[in-house]
Formats: sequence, structure tokens, C-alpha cells
Amino acid sequence: MSEERLVSVGGAATSGRPVPPPAPLIDADSTGFWEATREGRIALCRCTGCGAWLARPLERCNRCAAPTSFDPVAGTGTVYSYIVVHHPAVPAFAHLVPYVIALVEFDEGPRLPGILLGERGPGVAIGQRVRAELTAFPGADERAVTFRRDTSGG
Amino acid sequence: MAAREAAVVGIGRTAFSKSSGRTPLAMAAEAARAALEDAGLRPADVDGIIDFNTNDSASGPDVARAIGAVDLGLAMDLQGGGNLAVTVVGQAFAAVQAGTCDVVVVFRSLNGRSGNRYGRGDRPALAMRGDMQFAALNGYVIPPMWIAMFAQRHKHVYGTTDEDFGQIAITMRNHAAANPHAMQRQPIDMDDYMSARWICEPFRLYDCCLETDGAVALVVTTLDRARDLRHVPVRMAGFGEGHTSGGSWTNFPDLSDMYSAYAAKRLWASTGLRPADIDVACMYDCFTGTVMATFEDFGFCPKGQTGAFFAEGRATYGGDVVVNPHGGLLSEGYLHGLNHHFEAVRQLRGHAGDRQVPGARHALVTAGAGPAGGALVYETDL
Repeated sequence: MSEERLVSVGGAATSGRPVPPPAPLIDADSTGFWEATREGRIALCRCTGCGAWLARPLERCNRCAAPTSFDPVAGTGTVYSYIVVHHPAVPAFAHLVPYVIALVEFDEGPRLPGILLGERGPGVAIGQRVRAELTAFPGADERAVTFRRDTSGG
Repeated sequence: MAAREAAVVGIGRTAFSKSSGRTPLAMAAEAARAALEDAGLRPADVDGIIDFNTNDSASGPDVARAIGAVDLGLAMDLQGGGNLAVTVVGQAFAAVQAGTCDVVVVFRSLNGRSGNRYGRGDRPALAMRGDMQFAALNGYVIPPMWIAMFAQRHKHVYGTTDEDFGQIAITMRNHAAANPHAMQRQPIDMDDYMSARWICEPFRLYDCCLETDGAVALVVTTLDRARDLRHVPVRMAGFGEGHTSGGSWTNFPDLSDMYSAYAAKRLWASTGLRPADIDVACMYDCFTGTVMATFEDFGFCPKGQTGAFFAEGRATYGGDVVVNPHGGLLSEGYLHGLNHHFEAVRQLRGHAGDRQVPGARHALVTAGAGPAGGALVYETDL
């Protein structure tokens, strides 16, 4: 294929060390989320006043301006949309293609994207129930929120 | 001061390539000089410069100095993507109308193929801040992923088929066949489209635009001055933008829409026009899915009907509106949307040669995908 498009083959590691995934830019507003993941929990930003869940961590609620905190979530949600990555543009995951990234709507409301572990595309559908977990990808300093399909029938 | 009227009077560009071997500064200077020459103005006339970039280009003042314009009344380097490709022109018009400047150069210059490639997931410039910090560790970091996610939702909500996306890619390529400046001119058919490799489902190869090296520049000045210059002035009927949801790719309310669901009301109120008035639509087409969502949001057809609209020939010559007569970002090249303005101006001047849309008087240019973008309508009195 002669055409080069808005995709590219990532540079594979030649040193034998894993290529880490891109790193999050953690700031004072989001520290609570990452502190929780280091303790093995998933906690999202929530207003201490009106109780709203905030997809984007903020020091103060964007509805009522009350202080926020990070509250644990149930870890369950629904596939809002998904993609099947075939082109290995991200070196850290080049060995996984094809793999699925789902945009999951947590039952609390906010959406987070994450790899739907163990899936290669067929059988994945919008609306499926999933369960979140924390995964330490090789070379990464923080654990990622990833998902698995919830086949418990719940 | 009473508001003055403004117009685009000059357009310029470099060659488009996969490997320019030049700096963005050098290419921007060439495009700016070409646009001034096209207008019949001199570099010394320039007193304003506006551009957008993602830390992959030269600053406006640096480009101005490179062509000999060292005393500017306005310099705006906007940080951002294709969502700003209408903003920069809208602000140039606003500056001239307000009397802030008399001659404004707008440019975009990038080595999008040989330098900082948007399709790469390992480029150092990736800034995973805000709610994208939660996408980083899963490698959900590049536009083909984000916009494929929108397209999948569109399929789910409206029953959109792969062939519907294919109709857009095929139409763009057929248009590019008549454009000597286009990076890809070989026509494709549905078999070619469907048999091409997957990139990021639901996108295949031809759903993705062409990373390109090059630069495009426009010159905006007062309508009074424009009347004494080389070409028929191209005025702006109005513009409307939509910067929604804090720019979030993941928590935008409805991924079967885009920014255009918000910008449309402002665009049509500002212009006093409606889709049926548009002769040429230069739709921002980083991916076919972007064309689909925005074309519908701006009201050219009901949601979910873009594929049929294109399949029936309504988006090409002899139809309702000619979409991207130059071939767009998908086939002419990814100049981050500023090449859409170049084409729109050419079409309204009647200078588009083999691909001229007969009698074109109103040209829409859209910019951006996902949560943020805008659109404007150019017009002439030809």
C-alpha cells in the first residue's frame, strides 16, 4: 500500500524493554483519582454539595461550585461506543492488534475509555454490560482503568 | 469607529508533499508571499497575522518577519487543531472590520507527514491533560480512534453502513482526479473501499485523510481596498462556531453528533442563509465520519441520510451541492483545513478550472471534528 494516511506504524522497541503507553498528565485536581488507583480502587470526582459526578476532575463543582472529593464507584457500566484497533499506531499495544477500546458509561454517569480486555472485535456491541478493573501495562507508572465484558447476566 | 467590511483578496500555498525538506517557517513565508502577490499587495502592507498550530509550526510574528513585515498591530498564535481553521479567518475579518488592522495574513504551515504526525501514538507532543489523562494509559490518544468512536455510535443510532462512509471517500477521490495539486488522484470504487485494510473499525484506509507537508495562506483586507486589487473580493456572509463540552472527546453528550449540532444555529443565523443556498461545501474531512456527522448537523440532509445523499449524486456536480471539489483532506491533503478556504475562494472567483462549480456564489467552509469547530460562508457578487 503506497498511501500514507493519518495513521502510522509505531516504532517498535529494539532494546527489549517494553514501550510504555502514553502517560497521564496528573495535576492537583486529579490527584485523588490516581491515589485511589494506586490503592486498587476506582474513584471518580464528585461534588460534596449536590452529589453530581464530574467526568473531568475539578476543584469545585461546575454546577454549584461546592468542593469536590473522589468517591468510589461500583465499577460497572455499559459500552457507549467502541472501536477495533487494527493499525498499530500506539507502540505499547502494537502486539495486541486487533484489540478493542470501549468508551464505557459508568453507572454513575461519567464515561471513561479503556481497552476491553480479551476481545478482538467480533461479539462486542454497544449496550453490553462491562466491569472495570485496574491493569498495570508494562512500563507504565500508573495503572490503567480497563474493562471486561460482564457475562454474569446481571 | 463604524464597522468596515472585509474580504479575502489573496490566496497562496506551497507544493503539498510527503517530505518537504523545509521548515514550517520557510513554507509559511512562501505561502504568505504567494497570497500577497495574488492580491497585488506587498509584504510591507501586512499589519496583522493569525495562525493556529499544535507546537508544530512557526509563530506568526516569525513568519511576518520572514517576509519583511516587522511592525504588526495584531499577532495571534492560536493553539489547537482543525477546529480553529474557521476561527482564524473569522478573527481576521473581525480585526479588519473593527479597524484593528488593514491587511491580515492567515496561515497554517506544518510538516504533517515528515514531521509531527497526528496519526502517531508516540509523538512527544501528546498532552494528555484534562479528562484525556484517563485515556492515555490505554493508548486512546490519536484522532483516528476518537473519530471512529463517534462513527461507531452514529452507526448504532442511525443504522449507518460501511458503504455509507465509502460513498464519501469515493466522492472525494473522484473530485481530486481533476485537481493537479491533490496528493491522491486515482479514482476508487466501492470494491476498492471495502477491500482496503482496516485502520480502526469502523474506519478503513480510505476513511482517513492524507498526512501532508505544506502551507496555505490567505490575505484579508477592507472591502474598499479590495475593490482596487487583482481579483473579485470574496466576502464572508457570516460564521458560527461551537466549542462544546470543554473540548472533551469522551464526554461530549451525543457521539452521533459533533460540534456542528451547536454551531449550526449560529452559522445560519449569522449568514441569513440555509443549506439550499450553498453551492460549494468544503466540509472538514479528517475522516469520512466527520463529513457525515457535520453534513447532517448543518442541515444538508436528515441524520443518517448522508450515505444515500452521496450515493444519489447529490453531493457532486449536477447535484444539490458540490462537497469538496478539490478532494478535501481525504484526497487533496491534510493542510489542517486551511486548504478548504483556498478552494472556496477559487471557486467563488470562478478560477477553479476543470473542477469549477458552475455559478458558485456561496461556499461553506467547515472546520473541526468532535466537540469543537466552526463554519463560515463565503460569498461573491459575480
